[in-house]
Amino acid sequence: MYVSYNWLLDYIDPGISADELAERLTLSGVEVGALEVFGPSLPGVVVGKVNSLEPHPGRSNLTLVEADVGTNVLKIVCGAKNMQVGDKVAVAKPGSKLPGSRLIKEAVIYGASSSGMLCSARELGLELDAEDEILILEGTAVIGESVDEILGFDDRILYLELTPNRADCLSMIGVAYEVAALTGRPVKMPPLTPQEMERDINKIIKISVEDADLCSRYTARAVQDIIIEKSPLWMQIRLLKAGIRPISNVVDISNYVMWEFGQPLHAFDLKQLKNSEIVVRRARAGERLVTLDGVERELDPEILVIADGAVPVGLAGVMGGKDTEITASTQEVLIEAAGFNPINIRRTARRYNLSSEASQRFEKGVNPEAVIWAQDRAALLISNLTGGKVLRGLIDQNMSISQPRRISAKPERINEILGLTIPTDEITAILSRLGFSVQQEENGLLNVTVPVRRADLVLEEDIIEEVARLYGYDKIPITLPRGKLLENRETREQRLQNLVREIAVSCGFYECITYSFINPSSLFRLRLPENDRRLQAIPVLNPFSEEQAVMRTTLLTGLLKVIQHNFSYRELNQMICEIGSIYEADSLPLEKLPVEKVKLALAVTGQILDPNWISPSREADFFTIKGTLEFLFSRLQIESVDFIPAAMPFTHPTRSAVIMSGGEELGFLGQLHPEVAEAWGVNQPVTVCEIDLAILGKQANLVPRVSSLSRYPVVNRDIAVVIPRKISASQLGETIKEAGGGLVNQVKLFDLYEGRQIPEGKRSLAYSITFRSEEGTLTDAEVNSAQKNIEKALFDLGAVLRS
Amino acid sequence: MLKKLKELEDQSRQSIAGVNNLAELKEIKVKLLGKKGALTALLRSLGTVAPEERPGLGREANILREELERVIELKESSLRDLVKAGQWEQERIDVTLPGRPIDSGQKHPLTIIIEEIKEIFYGLGFQVAYGPDIESDYYNFEALNIPADHPARDMQDSFYLNPQLLLRTHTSPVQIRVMEKLAPNLPVRIIAPGKVYRRDDDATHSPMFHQVEGLVVDRDITFADLKGTLLLFAREMFGSDQKIRLRPSYFPFTEPSAEVDILCVMCGGKGCRVCSNTGWLEILGSGMVHPRVLEVSGYNPREVTGFAFGMGVERIAMLKYGVSDLRLFFSNDLRFLKQFG
Repeated sequence: MYVSYNWLLDYIDPGISADELAERLTLSGVEVGALEVFGPSLPGVVVGKVNSLEPHPGRSNLTLVEADVGTNVLKIVCGAKNMQVGDKVAVAKPGSKLPGSRLIKEAVIYGASSSGMLCSARELGLELDAEDEILILEGTAVIGESVDEILGFDDRILYLELTPNRADCLSMIGVAYEVAALTGRPVKMPPLTPQEMERDINKIIKISVEDADLCSRYTARAVQDIIIEKSPLWMQIRLLKAGIRPISNVVDISNYVMWEFGQPLHAFDLKQLKNSEIVVRRARAGERLVTLDGVERELDPEILVIADGAVPVGLAGVMGGKDTEITASTQEVLIEAAGFNPINIRRTARRYNLSSEASQRFEKGVNPEAVIWAQDRAALLISNLTGGKVLRGLIDQNMSISQPRRISAKPERINEILGLTIPTDEITAILSRLGFSVQQEENGLLNVTVPVRRADLVLEEDIIEEVARLYGYDKIPITLPRGKLLENRETREQRLQNLVREIAVSCGFYECITYSFINPSSLFRLRLPENDRRLQAIPVLNPFSEEQAVMRTTLLTGLLKVIQHNFSYRELNQMICEIGSIYEADSLPLEKLPVEKVKLALAVTGQILDPNWISPSREADFFTIKGTLEFLFSRLQIESVDFIPAAMPFTHPTRSAVIMSGGEELGFLGQLHPEVAEAWGVNQPVTVCEIDLAILGKQANLVPRVSSLSRYPVVNRDIAVVIPRKISASQLGETIKEAGGGLVNQVKLFDLYEGRQIPEGKRSLAYSITFRSEEGTLTDAEVNSAQKNIEKALFDLGAVLRS
Repeated sequence: MLKKLKELEDQSRQSIAGVNNLAELKEIKVKLLGKKGALTALLRSLGTVAPEERPGLGREANILREELERVIELKESSLRDLVKAGQWEQERIDVTLPGRPIDSGQKHPLTIIIEEIKEIFYGLGFQVAYGPDIESDYYNFEALNIPADHPARDMQDSFYLNPQLLLRTHTSPVQIRVMEKLAPNLPVRIIAPGKVYRRDDDATHSPMFHQVEGLVVDRDITFADLKGTLLLFAREMFGSDQKIRLRPSYFPFTEPSAEVDILCVMCGGKGCRVCSNTGWLEILGSGMVHPRVLEVSGYNPREVTGFAFGMGVERIAMLKYGVSDLRLFFSNDLRFLKQFG
């Protein structure tokens, strides 16, 4: 809602400046988002009278104008033709500046000297039509005076950012009531009594409301002998200040009155209404209507229309029809002011994507008092400004009078909730300033009667808010809640997530946050087979784009997109992770809330350290992520985790594994299939992993359990074997532990070699084995015997010992 | 004899001063003070002078000996320093070389901010609660006093999954879920961080973003308590000289409602481009829990009151870190992420 400060003065004199008013409105809940100057003052531009017009001797398209500007007469060369001798026009004198810093100078134009310029609306900064025409001022303009006052310049516009509950401020008069509550100044109503002629409106039109559930009230007035032309300049400028484009006098007046009272009006060309009849009814299936914007709309019984005796002539409360619109030849108009069902208007506006100043007001609720005000005011303005004659009477169908609401409020409760101790007198005074009437019962209860314009107030809490905002939120004291303290600030799942994040980050991963919705085609790029659960992604019904069309079923595609993005900026070395939910529907289409599973995904590519002068760089590969996972498992004291070779649809066939823990599949780890990496524009190895944090949590000890320290020393022995490649490292490790008969405390692989000197199909592995007993210091003989057993077991596996 | 002593002294001082390595110095020492040294020889020749001169000369000779020993020692230590210095030079490092790179990662800046918010509210005795991203119309709207066809639904344009299920547009549904679970127990004192979704996409809006909801329900909770809690939060988050300003506003699920501003973090309240010359920046919405919301969640609004607030994590992160484009948080550009650690 745009509010011109000078226009507002018609309804209330706030006694404070526009700046102060804006500040006070904002702090009391009617936010002024911006306060801007309308029309910078134009000091050198004055009212001039055209004394004479002569053709330019050299150029037929130019005119020589003599303009009387009070102090002297200026000779001006002008390119426009629309002015006539005697017209008052805006003259920019030499040395003056127009908007856009355009400086007016004395000049010689094709041999004729020109001292100044006659201005068009646009040159003065007014967004009015008729670009090439000189703006003709009203005859009453005083020659030689600055144009600022006539043009309404030097005004301030308050841009109100209204919350949906404050529909009452969608009108100048509503804002005036709010200003009255803030300043205690009185509200002045504009003149409302039109002069009526003898002819009765009922003689020329019949009105009926068929669907009263959607139309709470329908009123009409009629005016005849109208001459349609531009409205007076002052009204056009006020409409510009309201952000409304001026069109013609009748339409402008209906908009002007809507701005004054918040009641939308519609004007029909009376002669175009068939059977001289208006019927407010649901549209019939198959009916059509071409609306003012020239678009043909299909209608059905969901839509409330204004019809004449035959066909719909308007979408009720949303937009009028083309056939009955006001045109240059209109002479008689029917003015409609009605009350419509907000929900129906909202649905119609949404369905046709036709949100208008009118529909927005109906959706949010219009002050029921304003219907008659608006009718009378519009009739008065039309008769004053267009020469039209107002027919006697006003048709009022389905008249309903809203009763002011009564709300009870306890002063103690007001104070309790706000944390205040305001005396009852002060509460009553605040409510009275709002125009509420307050009566106190013997038990102290306040009976507050709220004017109908404030339909947003229903409950005691609403009254409490009114008291608080006018008392001033800044005066409410500052305290802290008292009461019991709570334990268990976080659940176990939350703590696990935090821990997992800390560990991933400490292992070198940068945490990413990607969108929960993904492009469904990215799942196909993962080469998932048709029956893969991850393809059952939940579609978003109204996505912005295909990129955000389905809910993710894996974190992988998001991280791959990140890798792709960074790769395109030449960041070849990346270690990234994400902790986030994936969404699994039981069935599609979705019927109930889906399961949201929290996953950890890790992805690496390139080198771990950027090349540098001191530390060697390492490949970021399968074992990089596996090392991170092992560190995580060890921190969570999860012992039994198995990496089982298995190819995923999107991984390198021999470089990937499923991760099993406690008999459940925890997730997977693998190098991406080169074709999949390529699909994301990455031409180097990428390794990814995704694990389920709920399954991880089942096995995890969040608080480390400490075992007692042994009193006995350890003995270290190294064993190196050459063994067929098909024997896995985990198998060897297990064998060593088992064969060691309880004395093996730790087995560490410290070297792996294959290649020269090692037979084809075999590899050499070297282990450092730590022996320890809980019963005493181990003797050489005990360790030797254990080592023999280990060597024997390894030999049985096909190992050859190296010395 | 005295003359000879004097000559020896001068000679020795000269040769000691001229020496520039330890081995030569040692040689000189032997030549002078050794068993066969010059001074020793002089002392031995004391026998040849008159007996009455002997004590005086002997004293002089001993003084000279001590003096020479001292000079040699000084020279020796200065020569040793010289040698050491040579060694040091050999071991010199270039301290301007870059340090050994550390390969640590970092949390996402939004995570850092959420953790900071959690810490602040832990200090005030809050618990953390979570709710699902995919919500029913009931929890996201109905229970929060936003019925179908209510104009307030325009405040948040939603992504729908079916006519009844949508991506939550705010973290407020967690209020309802928590109260339903806890009612009629008191107190309720939670914050609820999480992702939220709205159909908006530009430099200051993202279709997915993060909020932290706060909710306190107990006997005698007041609007003043809300103010105090939020002031404390603002000071912990943005500095101890922060101020807050509450402006009346409207949310269907709170009454009274307030938008909360802090002093502009750029200009400190003087007014600048960032705060549109107001000196204030809006950071969150809040209010007293609407009685209908308490009622549908199982609490009696005549017996308990509460306050709630909701803040945008991205907004706070942008102010705190000076980020001007919200979309950076979701680009996951490593050049951006690496600036946080």
